[in-house]
Amino acid sequence: MALAQPATKAEPDHTRSAQRTWLWGALLALPTAWMVTFFVSSMAIIVLLSFGRTTNDGYPAFALRTTNYRAIWNQVYFELFVRSLVYALATVAISVLIAYPVAYTIARHGGRYRHALIAAIVVPFFASYLIRMYAWKALLSDDGLVNSGLRRTGLSEGVTFLNTPGAVVGGLVYGFVVYMILPIYASLERLDGSLIEAGKDLYHGPVRTFFSVTLPATRPGLYGGVLLVFLPALGDFVSAQLLGGANTYMMGNLVQQQFAEGQNWPLGSALTVGMMAALTVLMVVYLRATATRAREA
Amino acid sequence: MALRAARLERKPALAVAVTVLFFAWLYLPILAVALFSFNDKKSLSAFSGFSLRWYDDLFHNSGLIRSLVASIEIATVSTVGSLVLGTMLALGLERVRSRRGRVIGAVTLLPLVTPEIVTGVAALLLFTGVGLKLSMTTVILAEVTFSIAYVTVIVRGRLAGVSTEVEEAARDLGCTPFQALRLVTLPTLVPALVGAGLLVFALVFDDFVLAFFTTGVDPQPLPVRVYSSIRFGVSPAINAIGTLMLLGSALLIVAALALPRLLSRETSSLDLITGGQK
Repeated sequence: MALAQPATKAEPDHTRSAQRTWLWGALLALPTAWMVTFFVSSMAIIVLLSFGRTTNDGYPAFALRTTNYRAIWNQVYFELFVRSLVYALATVAISVLIAYPVAYTIARHGGRYRHALIAAIVVPFFASYLIRMYAWKALLSDDGLVNSGLRRTGLSEGVTFLNTPGAVVGGLVYGFVVYMILPIYASLERLDGSLIEAGKDLYHGPVRTFFSVTLPATRPGLYGGVLLVFLPALGDFVSAQLLGGANTYMMGNLVQQQFAEGQNWPLGSALTVGMMAALTVLMVVYLRATATRAREA
Repeated sequence: MALRAARLERKPALAVAVTVLFFAWLYLPILAVALFSFNDKKSLSAFSGFSLRWYDDLFHNSGLIRSLVASIEIATVSTVGSLVLGTMLALGLERVRSRRGRVIGAVTLLPLVTPEIVTGVAALLLFTGVGLKLSMTTVILAEVTFSIAYVTVIVRGRLAGVSTEVEEAARDLGCTPFQALRLVTLPTLVPALVGAGLLVFALVFDDFVLAFFTTGVDPQPLPVRVYSSIRFGVSPAINAIGTLMLLGSALLIVAALALPRLLSRETSSLDLITGGQK
């Protein structure tokens, strides 16, 4: 009996782990198949079609030519590409300038209202991006509240806000700044307050303390926020379409035109692949930066 | 000591000012939209009197109602689909700690870091490539693909806090692995599932970009219909529908944030069994 016991105990353990692995594997199978069918393969198709052509009767067809990529190097597209990068970078910069003080105030001085304040930011941000863009447009339009206020106070006969780069970048910040606030807030909340205290004792001024203690400690959150804002800002087309015009169009608008209006799908695919390539470079830079930090730590 | 306390208390004036301005900037445009949706004149800058006429117009606009119903259907089916697939994925990834598991995990997170326009265009190419007619079904397929990642992230967050010991105990008591999963693990995931479900519903209901690229002509999802009227300009009717959309999704998000907390308090007896591990 005494000898048989370990044997019977070992055996179910073995079959049990085999059974379990089978179950977990089975659980993974369906979602994996789904993602391969609907996501991975769609990405593959876009890459394939970017080498494709448009048939004489206007249909997209697979081929093996680099015409579409050479077409991107046309001056108009290049300008648009540079403009998108500038807008997206401006969006990131302004978002940092807004998000850091906001996250800092809430995390360090929000007291017991911290969670309520963060919720007050999160709720409108995740409610309808489109309607928030529209709200911005209504406010800034020629007969909107801002302009009628200006006219009533006699400050100005009215300012054209819409169709300017400022309106488009403002819309992008309005759309995505929450993705900067949340990661910075998370890293600030984890930060030990006594570190800042010690910094103030050591470095004296709050400014020096900020740059030598607070900022380095929250750098991972900051990097994460930069990435999370830059990604959607670079691909956005709603802000430029609603708040801007043809002279503020971004890459997203160009892609959207190729698919919805211009009907040159192969060219649109090449533009999309170009956009993804730019973003992948950024992601790799980000991952390497955070990996280096992790090694240093 | 007194000096130190005073220093701690002092708030950075500039940061506080930026925060106050930020909240004003965040809410002012939204509140203006809501306010002028009750204006009895067409003006968007002078409030002349309270009226519900724009809301009345909405409820008599059959096209808009059809879009609303379509969006609710799309959001409901997509939520159920992504909850099932996302939970399966989360369970599988949490327990299969192989290299293959990590690769699958990374691939499923990709939609989160891919600009929506890319996902939308790619889905459009895939559907037309295999000859699927664009319709509500194609919108749902695209939305589920996009939402799985949200569910997986939220459910994995919860799973990380649940010890596997109770599941082991259930197995010792003679449960099959599937029974242990269904009777022990899944109930602990309920708060996370409720939160994820509400969040996904709100995101899908409001989603414009994916719907724009994958929808058929009729019925158009609500955001796509609203977008085409916004492009032509600003109007009190859009203020009214916008106010309703904002209010609806705000309620969903508030519920998504609050309900999981309430629910996990209720399951505190379960926390006792797991040794109070959260």
